[in-house]
Amino acid sequence: MIEVSNVSHGYPGRDGTTFFRALSDVNLTIESGTFVSFLGPSGCGKTTLLRIINGLVIPTGGEIRIDGKKVTGPAPDRAMVFQEFNLLPWRTTRANVEFPLECQGVPSAERTKTANRALTQVGLDRFGDFFPHQLSGGMKQRVGLARALAVGPSYLFMDEPFGALDPQIREVMQVELMKLWDNDRKTVVFVTHSVDEAVFLSDRIIMFGTSPGRIIADLKIDLPRPRWQDDEAIKTSPQFVQYRNDIWKMLKQQLHQMPAA
Amino acid sequence: MSDRTASSLPLKDPLAPQGPSAFERWWLKSGFVNLLRISGLTVFLAAWEISSRLGYLDPLFASSPSLIIEKLFDMIRDGSIWPHVAASANIAGIGFALSVIVGVPMGLLMGRSLTIRATLEPFVTALNAAPQVAFLPLLIIWLGIGISSKVALVFLGSFIIMVVNTEAGVSQVDRKLIETARSFMANERQIMMKIVLPSALPYIIAGMRLAVGRTLVMVVVAEIYAATKGLGYLIFQAGGLYDTAQVFVGVVVLAAAGVILNAFLRWLEKKLAPWQHVQGS
Ligand SMILES: Nc1ncnc2c1ncn2[C@@H]1O[C@H](COP(=O)(O)OP(=O)(O)OP(=O)(O)O)[C@@H](O)[C@H]1O
Ligand SMILES: [Mg+2]
Repeated sequence: MIEVSNVSHGYPGRDGTTFFRALSDVNLTIESGTFVSFLGPSGCGKTTLLRIINGLVIPTGGEIRIDGKKVTGPAPDRAMVFQEFNLLPWRTTRANVEFPLECQGVPSAERTKTANRALTQVGLDRFGDFFPHQLSGGMKQRVGLARALAVGPSYLFMDEPFGALDPQIREVMQVELMKLWDNDRKTVVFVTHSVDEAVFLSDRIIMFGTSPGRIIADLKIDLPRPRWQDDEAIKTSPQFVQYRNDIWKMLKQQLHQMPAA
Repeated sequence: MSDRTASSLPLKDPLAPQGPSAFERWWLKSGFVNLLRISGLTVFLAAWEISSRLGYLDPLFASSPSLIIEKLFDMIRDGSIWPHVAASANIAGIGFALSVIVGVPMGLLMGRSLTIRATLEPFVTALNAAPQVAFLPLLIIWLGIGISSKVALVFLGSFIIMVVNTEAGVSQVDRKLIETARSFMANERQIMMKIVLPSALPYIIAGMRLAVGRTLVMVVVAEIYAATKGLGYLIFQAGGLYDTAQVFVGVVVLAAAGVILNAFLRWLEKKLAPWQHVQGS
C-alpha cells in the first residue's frame, strides 16, 4: 500500500530566492495490486509525484509511506520505466537488463538467468546481444520494461512509458502490458496524457490540475478484466465510451477555469 | 512493342537500389581525399628533392628527402638510433601513463563533486594557462638531471590535458542516465564506474590524442638540457653540428610516432565507444 500524506513540493525558482510550487497538499492512498493512472495536463506535477513516491525526490512537505515504512530513497522492491527509455547505449540489451541487478550485487550467473527470463517476458529473447541503437522505439521500451521487471519489484512506476511511440505500437504495448500485469498484478502507477490509455489500463484514474499541481478527481474504472483478450471490444463498449466522455468533460472544465490559457 | 522497349533499356534491374556504385561511393568518401593527400605530399617532397639537387636549396641548410632517408637507414643499420628512440620512448611512456593514471580520476572527481572542483579549479586553470616548459629549471633543481625531471615535465604538460578533457566529458553525461541508475539503487561508486566513466570515455580518448602531441613536445624540450641520449638530444646535437639530415631524422621519427599513436587511439575509440559513431553514419 502506498500512502501519500499532505505532500507538497516546491522547486527553487530561476533566481534562487523564489519557489515554484509544483505540488500542493496531495493526499492519496493506493491499494496493493491495483493499476492506477495519473492523468492531467502538462506541468501539473505528475512526474514530480511519481519521483517522490519512488524516493528519487524528497518532498519539501509531507511524507510517503509504502507498506507502512517512510520513503527516504529508492528501494529494491520498486522499479521505474522512463519515457525516454534511458538505456545505456554502450550496453547490450541483456547487459542493460542486468544493470539494476549488478547494482544490487546479484552474482553474475544468476543475473544472466534473470535477465534472459525478463527479456523472454517482453518478447525480446532473441535480441539479447543487440545494442539499443539497433532497436526500434517499441523494442527499446520493452527493454526498459524488462529492466524494471528484472528486479522483481512489488511496485512498478511508469512515467509516460509509451509517450514516445507511434499510435499503433502504443496500442500493441498497452495490450502486452495488460497481459504481463495479469500474471502477478503488481501495484502499478502509470503516468499518461492519453485518456484512452488511462481508461483502458486502469482500475483507478487520478486526475491532476495545474497551478499548483493537485488532485482534482479520483475515478474508479469498472471495466471487466482481463482486458487484453479482446481489446477492441473493450474500447468500443458503452462503458468505456462513457468513462472517456466523462473524463474529457472534466478536462475541458479544467481548461475553462485556467486563467487565460 | 513493349518487348523491344524493355530490351532496349540498359541491363539494370529497375528495382535495384539506384545511386552511386560501390566504387563511386568509395571514391567520393575516401578515395578522392586520399589521392589529394598523397599527391600533395608527393609534389612537396619532389619539389624539395629537385630544388636541392638543382642547387636552388643548399642541402647543407635544407637537406633533402633522399639525404634524410639515407641517414635514417644508416642509423638503423649501424643501430645508433635505437638508444635515442629507447630513451625518449621510456620518458614519454612513463610520463604519458602517469598523466592518464592521475589525470582521469582527478577529472572524474572534479566533474562529479562541486567541493573538489571548487578546490582544485584555480590550480588546474593556472597550470593549463601557463607554458609548462617554464617549470623545467625548477624540476631539474628539485629532481636532478636524470630521468625524473624529464618524466615530470611530460607529466605536467600531459596530465593537465587529461584532467580538463575528462572533466568536460563528465559534464556531458546525460543526467537522465544518472537518475536512472539512482532509481535502481546504484551507489556513488557504481554511478561513477558504470555511468560516468563509460559516458566520458570518448572525451577521455580525445584527451589522450591531444596528450600524445603534448608528450612528444615535452620529451624533446626536456632532452635539450642535460641529456646524453634521446631524440631531443639527437636533434639538438645535430643542429649544433649543422647535420640537417640528422635533425630531420629525429623530426621524422617523432612525427611517425605521433601519427601511429593517434591512429591507434582512433581505432581504440571506435572499439570502445562504438555507439558514438552510429548516429553520424
Ligand atoms: N528539476 C526541476 N526544477 C525546477 N522546476 C521543475 C523541475 N522539475 C519540474 N519542474 C517544474 O515543476 C512542474 C511540474 O513538473 P512535472 O515534470 O512534475 O510535470 P508533469 O505533470 O510530469 O508534466 P508533463 O506531463 O509535461 O511530463 C513544471 O512546471 C516544471 O516546470
Ligand atoms: Mg512528466
